[in-house]
Amino acid sequence: MYDSPKTGTAVDQKDIKITARKVQVYYGDTHAIKDVDVQIEDKTVTAFIGPSGCGKSTFLRCINRMNDTIDICRVEGDILLDGEDIYDKRVDPVQLRAKVGMVFQKPNPFPKSIYDNIAYGPRIHGLAKNKAELDEIVEKSLRRGAIWNEVKDRLHAPGTGLSGGQQQRLCIARAVATEPEVLLMDEPCSALDPIATGQVEELIDELRENFSVVIVTHSMQQAARVSQKTAFFHLGNLVEYGETSQIFTNPKDPRTESYITGRIG
Amino acid sequence: MTDAATPMPGATPGKRSSGSLLELDARTRKRNAAEARFKIYGIIAIGIGLLFLVALLFAIVRNGTPAFTQTFISIPVELDEAKLDKTGNRDREEMAKVTTFGYAPLVDTALAKALADKGIENPFEKEKDLRKLVSDSAASQIRDVVLADPALVGQTVEFRLLAASRVDGYMKDRVTRESLARDKNLDAAHLDLVDAMADKGLLAKSFNWDFVFGADASEKRPEQAGIGVAMMGSFFMMLVVLFLALPIGVAASIYLEEFAPKSRWTDLIEVNISNLAAVPSIVFGILGLAVFIQFAELPQSAPIVGGLVLTLMTLPTIIISTRASLKAVPPSIRDAALGVGASKMQSVFHHVLPLAMPGILTGTIIGLAQALGETAPLLLIGMVGFIASNYPDGFTDGFLSPNSAMPAQIYEWAKRADPAYYERAWGGIIILLLFLMTMNIIAIILRRKFERRW
Amino acid sequence: MSASIIVLIVLALAAVGFFVGRARALATAGGEIRRLHSLPGYYGYNVLIWTVVPALLVLILWLVAQPMLIENRVKSMIPEDAYADSGALSLIMSDVRRVADGLDMAVAQGVIGAGEAESIGPDDIRDRLAGVGVALGSDVSESTLAAAQRYRAMNATGTMIRSVVILLIAAAGFGMAYMRTGADFRARNSVEKVSLGLLIGAASIAILTTVGIVLSLVFNTIEFFKLYPASEFFFGLTWSPSFGGGSELGILPLFWGTFYISLIALAVAVPIGLFAAVYLSEYASPKVRAVAKPLLEVLAGIPTIVYGLFALLTVGPLLVDIFGRDGAIGVNWMSGGTAVMTAGLVMGIMLIPFVSSLSDDIINAVPQAMRDGSLGLGATRSETIKQVVLPAALPGIVGAILLAASRAIGETMIVVLGAGAAAKLSMNPFDAMTTVTAKIVSQLTGDADFASPEALVAFALGMTLFVITLGLNIFALWIVRKYREQYE
Repeated sequence: MYDSPKTGTAVDQKDIKITARKVQVYYGDTHAIKDVDVQIEDKTVTAFIGPSGCGKSTFLRCINRMNDTIDICRVEGDILLDGEDIYDKRVDPVQLRAKVGMVFQKPNPFPKSIYDNIAYGPRIHGLAKNKAELDEIVEKSLRRGAIWNEVKDRLHAPGTGLSGGQQQRLCIARAVATEPEVLLMDEPCSALDPIATGQVEELIDELRENFSVVIVTHSMQQAARVSQKTAFFHLGNLVEYGETSQIFTNPKDPRTESYITGRIG
Repeated sequence: MTDAATPMPGATPGKRSSGSLLELDARTRKRNAAEARFKIYGIIAIGIGLLFLVALLFAIVRNGTPAFTQTFISIPVELDEAKLDKTGNRDREEMAKVTTFGYAPLVDTALAKALADKGIENPFEKEKDLRKLVSDSAASQIRDVVLADPALVGQTVEFRLLAASRVDGYMKDRVTRESLARDKNLDAAHLDLVDAMADKGLLAKSFNWDFVFGADASEKRPEQAGIGVAMMGSFFMMLVVLFLALPIGVAASIYLEEFAPKSRWTDLIEVNISNLAAVPSIVFGILGLAVFIQFAELPQSAPIVGGLVLTLMTLPTIIISTRASLKAVPPSIRDAALGVGASKMQSVFHHVLPLAMPGILTGTIIGLAQALGETAPLLLIGMVGFIASNYPDGFTDGFLSPNSAMPAQIYEWAKRADPAYYERAWGGIIILLLFLMTMNIIAIILRRKFERRW
Repeated sequence: MSASIIVLIVLALAAVGFFVGRARALATAGGEIRRLHSLPGYYGYNVLIWTVVPALLVLILWLVAQPMLIENRVKSMIPEDAYADSGALSLIMSDVRRVADGLDMAVAQGVIGAGEAESIGPDDIRDRLAGVGVALGSDVSESTLAAAQRYRAMNATGTMIRSVVILLIAAAGFGMAYMRTGADFRARNSVEKVSLGLLIGAASIAILTTVGIVLSLVFNTIEFFKLYPASEFFFGLTWSPSFGGGSELGILPLFWGTFYISLIALAVAVPIGLFAAVYLSEYASPKVRAVAKPLLEVLAGIPTIVYGLFALLTVGPLLVDIFGRDGAIGVNWMSGGTAVMTAGLVMGIMLIPFVSSLSDDIINAVPQAMRDGSLGLGATRSETIKQVVLPAALPGIVGAILLAASRAIGETMIVVLGAGAAAKLSMNPFDAMTTVTAKIVSQLTGDADFASPEALVAFALGMTLFVITLGLNIFALWIVRKYREQYE
């Protein structure tokens, strides 16, 4: 069932987590995503790059069916998670999103305490049997989010009171708390200053040990720093997909080269 | 980042069984049920709201439409010279000395005669008992006609007389034989007679123009009461509101939106306006009573006072909507005007105001509609409790002489505790709502037609 | 010369001034509009404004001040032993005015000659005035007649001086503005300054209204507390006004009725309104929203008198059929159609759109990012709403509910028609009770004397109502504004 992607390099020894085949997305009459085929590996950071409006965020939102919340949006083609079609009628998007977590562009902590922000996911999914277990999950998630040391003394302070970088790491910890298998990140650093960006990037690299991470980014340097695989989108098409080092040093498609050298963007 | 991703020893809590996506686990199923329930609560809430609306409209239409028809008795009345003009010289002054009491027997006789002509058996011994079938107004109706044209005396003239309110109620199923048991105004025998008369065409229902255009009547004659005069009262009040609230509201909004510096005074005005919009309307009534009637000694119950009170009440609404439409005019228009050398005042009056006008008018109409339906303040300045029986004589009289207003008239009827008046009150509401509906539709059309996207 | 004739003369002068001013401006510029500072019309308006505005302002002041001055002078003519207190004095003064007006009217109709009017004695004045349709209640005393004569004389002099002064001011304004008219005069700036003044004046009416409300409430409330102790008003448990005197005017039973009815109204409106708002903003398709929202808002556009009638004639009897004697559930809790439940239920219906559209705005102000965050974690929509959106919107929703509460407390027509007239301290929601607003209406629409405590109490009730609703409104608007700022 694993066809080799048309544009990418050969698949290496890692497992394939997500397979997309002939995905089309329409917003009303606009054809936003055209014929995208891609295979995303487990325990890898995959970066989506491309100019604004190229469809990379739209495609990302297809992977956990966040586009369902937009009335005029329509998705065709197959997206398989561990070989199961996530657009199958029997699939409940709620259950899917528990497996495929998401972190957004702007940090969006809930207007609750830090503890309740993290505990929110485990509570709704019933992951903890009692308070002690929940405490354990919160601590573990905050550690994984690399923010435990900063907030352990004020777990019951509001999450909105943190700095921007801390808020984003809190949101990552919140997403991790539900034990997803895939973590989608939609430009997670675009609202952060360089120092906070550095911390979040370091965190992303660590998350690779446990999750398959897909990150949309505007910054080519960021893609080069954090990702192992890179996909370049342009005008709704997936132009090129491959090892990050290969895409940045030896792009095959002239459009990729133009983008990387700064001629389009 | 040394604290990240430390694996927890032992059985890890929070590990979800990673089953297939294609099967719903029990928990998800439960959560989806909760979701469906929650959604249904929302639908139920909207359903209840709409149900109330339907119930309200149904009550209004069902109870109010009978007010628009009225039972009339058409009979020939012999205008007996011996009773109406003893001297026989057709002198109006002399004839005016015969009061309505003198005319009442004519009605009795005419009724008896009409029954006999149509072959209906009269169950009553005394002709006087028949009088209960017609309204008390019948005698004065005949008298008015006779005094207007004395030449009619001696002739037999066809009259269309109002039926008594209970007869009217019987024709509209409001009065039943059971409900008459404890009523001494009408007997079951009368009802048999009414059935027979309706059969023979002596008595029929027809559209009641007098209800729409007529004047209020005394407590005992609901069949004669109309809302027309109160409508005039409302009309004159709306004139006052329109000609005061619109210019003042627009001027105030222009100042606040275009000229006012950010100062304490401006802040005070703004806070004031938003609070005035939420002050209970009855408080405006107290203001009107104390300031316009007690202090300024304007006439009580006059539409001008009602109009002034309603103006003060409507101003915040108009100011708020006018400011919104001024705000919607993009600054580039102002800059363009200032750029060609217009003064600030000229840019506002020549460019901004005309562009904002549709929005201002829409807001004004909605404010007027609100004022038209307002009752509470009118009660305090005395626009109830008397019978609005005459149309105002002229323009100034319309503003200054005591009158009622539509909602106040409806309240007055509701207080009279007679089912016949309740019917009028519902009917009055239909007319009031028709006016409000028309105003709102005009506002909507204006908004649609001139809606501008910048 | 009467005031309206003066106004007409001034307006005519102003109209002339407009054309004269315009013509002079053109003339000084030698017919070349380009050499004028402002458009010629502005010069005309300038003369017009200077003619009309000062003259009319002085006229208004005069109209207010003259009767006050004359009244004070005349008052001193009434001997002190003729009246017992200030109330009696004001009665005498109204007699004085009536006699004076009657004499003026008689002279105007030619029934009495001007000379005779000044010398007429107290004995035949009643008959003479009755002849022109002025009915005097009692015999006119010597001092009253003298005062009335003096009143007439002073009024006549005052009116004459007034005419002269006003016309002089108008002429002076005209002349000054005309003299200043010239090619270099900045007419537009001058006119605009006056226009700006008018705009400021219009904006200040909002403040004047509030001041008017406060003054009319405060003065009459003070009068009331002079006649009736404040402590008994605020803490009395009985409300039983009797116009013969000996009333007990405790506000607590009215408060209780107001509170109980508002509570029921909110218990109806808040859940329905809130769920409707949640459904409309979170679930409904645009089509459903476009139909359901305006339909619900129709409920808000219906006048309160309609709800009052609906309560009195439809809901009341319906409730009696269910909860009354021989009712559908056989409990006999309710004896009449007017009750706390009737008014509360109908008021709740009225408030549904109020709660729902305010909450709708507030829920929509919660940023989409919050919802995305929750949905992205695998929460269902209802979990998102209950645990993220509503807590975030809570302050705003509380503000909306407080505004609705202030509406309910101030609502009049529904309770006047639907709640009953008996002031009672009872727990049974099917009992008839009454409210602050209903009692304001009943105390002020009777034929009571305005100086009696039974009528004045309405102002104290109004004052209490005003203070409570104002407090609620300010607090609620503050909460809502704070909430909006948080997400802007």
